[in-house]
Amino acid sequence: MPLYLLLGTIFGFVLSRSGAADYNYIQGMFLFERFQLYGIIGTAVALTAPGLWALKRFGRTATGRPIQIELKPLHRGNLVGGLLFGVGWSMAGMCPGPIFVNIGEGKLYAVAALAGALAGAGVFGTIYTRLQGRLRLPPLALDTGKA
Amino acid sequence: MPLILNHLLPVHWAIAGAAIAAVTLGLLFLANRRLGVSGGFDDVCSLLLAQPYFRSGAVRSGRQWRLPFVIGLVLGGFLSAVLGGGWKTTWELGLFDQVIGLGHAGKLAWMFAGGLFIGFGTRLAGGCTSGHGIFGLSNLELPSLITTVSFMAGGIATTQLVYRVLFHVVYFRG
Repeated sequence: MPLYLLLGTIFGFVLSRSGAADYNYIQGMFLFERFQLYGIIGTAVALTAPGLWALKRFGRTATGRPIQIELKPLHRGNLVGGLLFGVGWSMAGMCPGPIFVNIGEGKLYAVAALAGALAGAGVFGTIYTRLQGRLRLPPLALDTGKA
Repeated sequence: MPLILNHLLPVHWAIAGAAIAAVTLGLLFLANRRLGVSGGFDDVCSLLLAQPYFRSGAVRSGRQWRLPFVIGLVLGGFLSAVLGGGWKTTWELGLFDQVIGLGHAGKLAWMFAGGLFIGFGTRLAGGCTSGHGIFGLSNLELPSLITTVSFMAGGIATTQLVYRVLFHVVYFRG
């Protein structure tokens, strides 16, 4: 628990000070006028990829547990949901991490973005079974209490 | 270009990217967790809603770590402000104020609408910039490549439509 809080705090601080949680830098990226966000995401992927490869080869976490990575399913929602999320990222100038960061920074409008995001996720969960067939979403495995 | 936050200058992109990689790898190596933020929306919803989706194992198993993680994100933003000139509430929104310039109520409505797209879209896609864009791409996962290309396309199209087409912004000086 304290570890997640600490890593979240570091992540939030970096997002805050890099432009990733800044409306102008997000628009600058989508306008092809600022390299900053492309540089951040590109560097993060370029360094995480070999790190992941090495960690998987090593195969164990710091406490000696076997490394387990939950893979995300492939379905039509990747395309449709990605497009919709892109519209929202542009409108709010924030992706999910920066919504929380901007609230911490004191940007009052970010609270409305969070309310919208929770409502959007709530709507999605509510109509999940109706979208399932059309978008080939995976079946739900109900919580058995063992997770 | 300074940040909106206290008009601070941002850190270099290479430093920020390296720090994000360190957090991503740290989360996996120390706690066996796959980086991802938008699942946090499900976690919060699952505290309030009881539909089958919010009772699924995939949603419930993430709560114990993702909730403290997103509280950390809020704390990180708060500390960044406190250590960088002081914390204060603000409505400042840069280019939006210069070009579109709605009042407070209009801004809240705009942000709520944007949030709806973010919440619905990320849950439908199964992840956001962190889980698909950083972790998934780094792990060479096809669904993450499709999602990342899609959200970049959606964002580029929307910003270009709003600022270039509707409001005729030629160059944004910041």
